[in-house]
Amino acid sequence: MRKILAIALCLGAGAVSAAPATQVAWTAETLDLVASGDSERGEQLATACSSCHGTDGISLNPAFPSLAGQLPTYLYRQLRDYKDGSRENPLMQNFASGLSDQDMADLAAWYSRQKPSVGPQADSERFEAITALVRRGDSKRIIPPCRVCHGENGQGERIDTPRIAGLSQTYLEQTLQAYGDGSRHNDIYGRMRLIAKQLTAEEIRLLSEYYATLQP
Amino acid sequence: MHIDPLEKKWIYIVLGMTALFLGGIFFTTFVFDIHPPSNVETIDSARLHLSEEFAEDNLGVKRQPDGTIKVIMVAGRYGFFPRRITLPADTPITFRWASIDVLHGVHMPMTNMSTMVVPGYVSEITTEFPKPGDYPMLCNEYCGLGHDFMWSKVTVEEKQAWMRRHPNFGGGES
Amino acid sequence: MTDTHTRQLSIWNFGVAFSAFLIAAFMGFYQVVERSGIFPALESAKVYFASVSSHGVLMAYVLTTFFIMGFGYYTAATALQRPIWKPVLAWAGFGLSLFGTVLAAIPLLTGKASVLYTFYPPIQASSLFYIGVALLVAGSWVWCVIMIVMTHQWQKENPGRPIPLAMFGTAANVFLWLWTSAGVGMEVLFQLIPWSLGWRDTVDPGLARTLFVWTLHPIVYFWLIPAYIAMYCFVPRAAGGYLFSDEMARFAFLGLLVFSLPIGFHHLYMDPEQAAGWKLLHGILTFMVAVPTLITGFTVFASLEIASRLNGGRGLLGWIGRLAWGNPMVLAAVLALLMLILGGFGGIVNASYALNAMVHNTAWVPGHFHLIFAGTTVIMYFAIAYHLWPRLTGKALCNNNLALIQLWTWFVGMTLLSTPWHVLGLLGQPRRISSVTYHSLLTLAWQPYELFMIMGGALLLGSAVLFGYILLKSLRNPSPQVDLEPNYADPIHPPRDMPAWVENMKIWNVIVAGFMLVSFGIPILQFFFLKTYDSVPWGY
Repeated sequence: MRKILAIALCLGAGAVSAAPATQVAWTAETLDLVASGDSERGEQLATACSSCHGTDGISLNPAFPSLAGQLPTYLYRQLRDYKDGSRENPLMQNFASGLSDQDMADLAAWYSRQKPSVGPQADSERFEAITALVRRGDSKRIIPPCRVCHGENGQGERIDTPRIAGLSQTYLEQTLQAYGDGSRHNDIYGRMRLIAKQLTAEEIRLLSEYYATLQP
Repeated sequence: MHIDPLEKKWIYIVLGMTALFLGGIFFTTFVFDIHPPSNVETIDSARLHLSEEFAEDNLGVKRQPDGTIKVIMVAGRYGFFPRRITLPADTPITFRWASIDVLHGVHMPMTNMSTMVVPGYVSEITTEFPKPGDYPMLCNEYCGLGHDFMWSKVTVEEKQAWMRRHPNFGGGES
Repeated sequence: MTDTHTRQLSIWNFGVAFSAFLIAAFMGFYQVVERSGIFPALESAKVYFASVSSHGVLMAYVLTTFFIMGFGYYTAATALQRPIWKPVLAWAGFGLSLFGTVLAAIPLLTGKASVLYTFYPPIQASSLFYIGVALLVAGSWVWCVIMIVMTHQWQKENPGRPIPLAMFGTAANVFLWLWTSAGVGMEVLFQLIPWSLGWRDTVDPGLARTLFVWTLHPIVYFWLIPAYIAMYCFVPRAAGGYLFSDEMARFAFLGLLVFSLPIGFHHLYMDPEQAAGWKLLHGILTFMVAVPTLITGFTVFASLEIASRLNGGRGLLGWIGRLAWGNPMVLAAVLALLMLILGGFGGIVNASYALNAMVHNTAWVPGHFHLIFAGTTVIMYFAIAYHLWPRLTGKALCNNNLALIQLWTWFVGMTLLSTPWHVLGLLGQPRRISSVTYHSLLTLAWQPYELFMIMGGALLLGSAVLFGYILLKSLRNPSPQVDLEPNYADPIHPPRDMPAWVENMKIWNVIVAGFMLVSFGIPILQFFFLKTYDSVPWGY
């Protein structure tokens, strides 16, 4: 794994272009590593994370994401991306730099097995305008509907499209804004950036509220 | 064995028809050199974004030193990357395709820019677009629940106008 | 006169086949309505693709396999005039296929196998789906063994006599199916099942696709041969005449056996994992498989003309009016051949090495195979059912006119459905989309055709329901079927001095093996020499 990474980094350095969105590749070895995650060890490691992400993976601070029930592959990749600098956040980069690949897989295993957070129920009439985007996308802007990648109930999909249902509105809004202005760029081939940069502030607000309050 | 003379005649007609169809195929194959995309070249789809050729910043339309035009594109659920490209008409254009996830197909309707994009393989196809205009580029192989939404846009411009508008590609013969 | 085992085996196999057909017909109608976009409330990609996958599996694998097994048992018992060899084994095969079908239906109907009937790794379905399909096929292999043994026993007891034509066609189809199913069998056994159970991490989509097309084309002839058997063996007599040529019929069946197998790469023309030379070779052989079909068309039309003229038909085309249009078997054969001519024309476009790029994976393709399969093949399945159901159940057909209406509505419905499909394909509409969401001038032109397709779909559903109704109603018909004998047509010239090699299936299997080695040997072996990168499983 490290060898592959080293080769990938060398290639990246050799090219004139910017670094790839992520250094993680979904090879069989990577998937095996994530699948081998030890949930019990992950739980011990997670005590260091609980002050921000909550003791059971449900964050009390809306600015930090809840990790409970998230796809293990997604969690693993985010940790790796922080460590590699593909995703920028001083606090998280600092944490992740001390983690081994196995630590990340263990953490991912534990958090993915916790019961996901469910947001408060919200008035569905308010979402009428935005459900079109969720269900049908917008062909004028070539925006695919959210549900085809993130799942009918926002539950995420193999391999690493994250669960977004039940995350806090604040976090979802921040994330979409960050993809939109390019400050978050660890999505392969800019798939989320291409979508987010075309969304209006109002759409981002409503989408975030929609998924934050989506009931399972 | 008894074969009716009428039936014998019919068999000759059938064989003649078959020969005619095959003749047509041989003509386009060997005289016009038209072949389907078949370059049998493998690539690691999982590490595609880490590869040199299909790196995010290397995608798109490129003019080669020899004046030909190459387009490097990636198919992934649910889009073709880059999303919009502009190409010159009446110019041989070589597309190179790879998938980052599952099976896709790519087709520009009313043209023969059509190929499957199979994970693990590079698809290459060279064609020309005689008619300027806006073309959709559609995914035509089931790739998941968002298959219907997988498309992008191609604008084919008149050759001179394209050359003027893309001075970076300029120079050389036009 | 058939024994109870044969009748029960045929009835039960037909029962499963047509139940699957009816369920799938409802799905088909839902699909044309959903994809039209006229009823936004219906739109759901999840339901749509679960439905498309189920529709494909039910129609292409369940309807066909069970129907062909049921028809085969009847043909073997009546044409060879001997009881089914080891009926217990036959029931075991039936049970295995049925169990496999149920196993596959669970994930299909719950949306856990929306991978279409073509599987499409690296999208991964529930392992139950792959195992179920494998068992369905394994059950049909039991049927194959019984058919081979019965033919062999008959040949031993009747040295020098040509195998009765209906059984000759069935035997050719049995060997065709054994060869055909080997491709997908290898894909499912060695690639998909171990991979879906997690025993293997990855799968090579290139190899999987190559193995699948091994099956994908000849399977169409596996479905079609029973229709041809009916055209040769039932239609001439139903029309009141004789079969024009028994010998050419045999060559047609052999032609299908030999030439339908080594040609699957015309489905891979647009694929990057096979080289141009192999594609061209398969392309050339693809045109050869048109020959037996053109012979069949000629022989059947000639037989119909003879019958009509015996009936008093006159003139160059005047005889057409004197055909026995009121006989479901004759009507179905004419409608089937009309659709075969149109579908065959579309097939020539698909098979063309260069032209294919314009229509590959567009709506043209489902338009084409619905004409050939749902049109030609299935309409003959209806006619066979109308012919055999009374002979199997002992109850006369409840209403001949209803049967004629059913066949006509199926024909009109299929024309209304598949013509717009062809046009949409030429306009570039991709196949297998659940809605049209592209924002371009071109896609606006697609809209009116979707309306025609809804009309076609509605008519087809009505026709399918009518078919089910006729069979069920006939079961309760108080008047018994008078004529219980199978109505095999006599040829004008009984086959005499048939050379031994025509009847020797060993020779034909060796020829097929040779063709397969040449056309698939290196293309499959290459995956073991190339540096390939396999795919991990993806969801959908």
